Amino acid sequence: MSKEFKVLYYVNQFFGQVGGEDKAGMKPEFHKDKIGPALGFENQLKGEGKVAGTIICGDNYFNENKEESLSYILNLVKQEAPDVFVAGPAFNAGRYGVACAEICRAIAEELNIPVVTGMYKENPGLEICQHVAYVVSTSDSAGGMRKALPLMAAITSKIAQGIELGSPEEEGYIPRGMRKTIIVDKRGSLRAVEMLVKRLKGEEFATEMPMPVFDMVTPAPAIQDLSKATIALCTSGGIVPAGNPDHIQSASAQKWGKYDISQRSALNAPDYYTTHGGYDPVYANEIPDRVAPLDILKELEKEGYIGKVYEFFYTTTGTGTSVSNSVKFGTEIGAELKAAGVDGVILTST
Amino acid sequence: MLKLEIGRIHIKDIQLGNETSVKNGVLTVDTQGLIKFLREDERIKDVKLDVAKPGEKVRIIPVKDVIEPRVKISGGNNGFPGVTAKQAQCGEGRTHVLYGAAVVTVGDIVGFQEGVIDMWGEGAKWTPFSQTFNLTVDIQVADGLDPHTHEETVRIAGLRAAEFVGLVGQDMQPDEVVTYEMGSIFEETAKYPDLPKVLYAEMMITQGLLHDTYIYGVNAQTILPSLLHANEELDNAVISGNCVAACDKITTYQHQNNSAILDLYAQHGKEINFLGCIMVPEHTTLSGKMRASDYTLKLIQMLGADAVVVSEEGYGNPDSDLLIICKKCEKAGVKTVLITDECAGRDGMSQPLADTVPEAVAVVSGGNVSHVVTLPPAEKIIGNVEAIAVLAGGWEGALLEDGSLQCELNAVIGATSEIGYHNVTCRLY
Amino acid sequence: MVVSGNYAKIRKGRKSMKNIIITNNPLVAEKFEDVYWTDGSVEEILIKIRDLVYQGYELVSHPLASSLRMLFSPYRSVIISTPKQQLNFEHAQIIENSIIKYRNHTSCRKTDDQNRDDYKRIDLLLLEAAFAEQQGMWQ
Repeated sequence: MSKEFKVLYYVNQFFGQVGGEDKAGMKPEFHKDKIGPALGFENQLKGEGKVAGTIICGDNYFNENKEESLSYILNLVKQEAPDVFVAGPAFNAGRYGVACAEICRAIAEELNIPVVTGMYKENPGLEICQHVAYVVSTSDSAGGMRKALPLMAAITSKIAQGIELGSPEEEGYIPRGMRKTIIVDKRGSLRAVEMLVKRLKGEEFATEMPMPVFDMVTPAPAIQDLSKATIALCTSGGIVPAGNPDHIQSASAQKWGKYDISQRSALNAPDYYTTHGGYDPVYANEIPDRVAPLDILKELEKEGYIGKVYEFFYTTTGTGTSVSNSVKFGTEIGAELKAAGVDGVILTST
Repeated sequence: MLKLEIGRIHIKDIQLGNETSVKNGVLTVDTQGLIKFLREDERIKDVKLDVAKPGEKVRIIPVKDVIEPRVKISGGNNGFPGVTAKQAQCGEGRTHVLYGAAVVTVGDIVGFQEGVIDMWGEGAKWTPFSQTFNLTVDIQVADGLDPHTHEETVRIAGLRAAEFVGLVGQDMQPDEVVTYEMGSIFEETAKYPDLPKVLYAEMMITQGLLHDTYIYGVNAQTILPSLLHANEELDNAVISGNCVAACDKITTYQHQNNSAILDLYAQHGKEINFLGCIMVPEHTTLSGKMRASDYTLKLIQMLGADAVVVSEEGYGNPDSDLLIICKKCEKAGVKTVLITDECAGRDGMSQPLADTVPEAVAVVSGGNVSHVVTLPPAEKIIGNVEAIAVLAGGWEGALLEDGSLQCELNAVIGATSEIGYHNVTCRLY
Repeated sequence: MVVSGNYAKIRKGRKSMKNIIITNNPLVAEKFEDVYWTDGSVEEILIKIRDLVYQGYELVSHPLASSLRMLFSPYRSVIISTPKQQLNFEHAQIIENSIIKYRNHTSCRKTDDQNRDDYKRIDLLLLEAAFAEQQGMWQ
């Protein structure tokens, strides 16, 4: 048996036994100790490896100070140089899941250290890290801890010891989207005929190449008379009032904001800027209207080409934002606009 | 309507010698006799024969075609009707095959051909022709031949070599006989009124030099989709003129032993009523693709089929044909199962199909053409060492220090077969 | 270079009002009229085609060849038709997908310089075969 491999573990304030929602603002801390799930996890390693330390960070703190938190954690991981980094499991906790995911992705991509975590399949963190992390599929609540830890530990052991992992079904992780070329017992034509027979009998069959599913949206009917219509402005380009009062994240947004623009004729600097971390902000910060063209809308309003510009504009950041959050934001914003009697929306990206 | 008996003479070893014979499963090939026979074609300057057996550290490159040696005992004409023999109806009577043996033609018409068969180790896993006892026929043609003539010369030489060797089976008692018998569509439907009617649509590369397929000697580029009895292709009606799609081309051997036909046949009268094959040309022009797909669907509907298995050949523009056919069939209520291969990048992380249609709900994957395999150095190379340089020159670091070669599956003959001839696939990991 | 010249003839001695060949293959430029030739890469050829399709040109032949090996060819010739009134969405999709697929395969490959002449010849022959595909078609 080679020497024990080394794991570093990440948990939030709750699983780190610091406290509940009241402690969600705590800064990341490092303990040379096994705390919370890290303890049960290490037991599952059966002496092959050990957890060298636990990082604890508040969910709110991480999500509101992402760059700072990440740089602290990355530095720490670099120093400690674990064989595998493990986070969570986060079950269906959104903020915790996003924190685990962002940390895992950064560690995998920047430090090239393998990462393992656990999540419920609908956790918004999943799509952030799925392609680089082994994400064990868990139940939606902490009741699934006892099932999740052995799977996470088994995967960690295999990775650390260079043992090839089995299929997602065998190992219990959510597929990373990798198309692995393998040799199987039955030749292709036989699999095709078997698939055909199942299909003809109305039985369940599994395609070997799932087609990507695109969300189809039916366009709304055209606005009959623009000169009487109220038009709202909405952007995923991260344009916010100076100071970013609602702390909208620069990437992987967890929220959206709305700001009164009824008294303004433009979104000009320095009153507005972009908080978006996914593009070169120079031109947007010079003239924020380049991203969210309130100036033109107001001109059109003056000309009478459109009836009215709606009094609030809506904003968030698109980069890295999960599809589930985007759907949620869209539904919420849409409902507000509809209730306010808005007839049309100009949506701008970056 | 057609009854075909394939008598298999099991071949367990192969060697070169002074006469052609099969003794205790050992195939001996008359070297001088075969060379003399092939050189009847004046366009051939030189022929080099060799053998390659499973497990030997031998690499064959660049492979042009693989052909199964056979002889016609009764019915039809010996050889390949319309190509090396006079026209005759294929698919009836009796044919003896040297089961387990293959003629592998080597020879580059152009410098960029690759097409590897490794007989041992890692490489052997990825090609079905590492399991056959191969007679390699390396053809040097006369100087100054234009590319069309060059290709034809090598193609015909391979077919004739298989004929020459196959002849030894004429007076032999086969080890086993497999019978393929199917009446007219009306007869079969009367026999199996409750079974779903299934067709096989076999797409073929038909786009010009090095990218051709022939049916009874007719260049399939010029045909409308044509209906074949399931026995015809199993009995030498279809040959390959395709030289460059190593991993997913259908060699003549794979036409002779088309696994999709065989596996559909096996279910005929049990789960399905297998009606036959539609040979579908893959055209270069978009109007050609529309025509061939319209015509294929029309044939399917005229025959009243409930379902169709569609196989592809090649990669690139044929992916469009495959999905157009699928879309049209599904929209018309014909259930389709597709066989294709995919490109998911070297790491497998890319979206496998650039073209996608939501109708393609049942797809069999023959594997990732960009999957990288490491081939250790061979002890012996049959063919052209230059062709290995082409492979090694594919990208930085393709040639490793110990002489191993990294190549993508796309260079390996039959690796990602789109008629489902091999056992490779992709799974989501 | 720009698309220019007289589109009255597609092949020497053969009248056409419809087709243009986009190519970087010098053999094709020599042999055919109504050629848009550039000494750029295949990717540039594909991008040029994409731009033209968005301007309303239609694809006559598919942008990609039918074998992997020809995807590695440094030469490519594609036939397109003169502009229609409207953008052909299916063709836009085909050319976009072709570019993705092309990049997918060639991103980490070296150009096969050694076999340039062979690629030139085969590209020309495949183009001629495309023209021969529908001999009864009025062009």
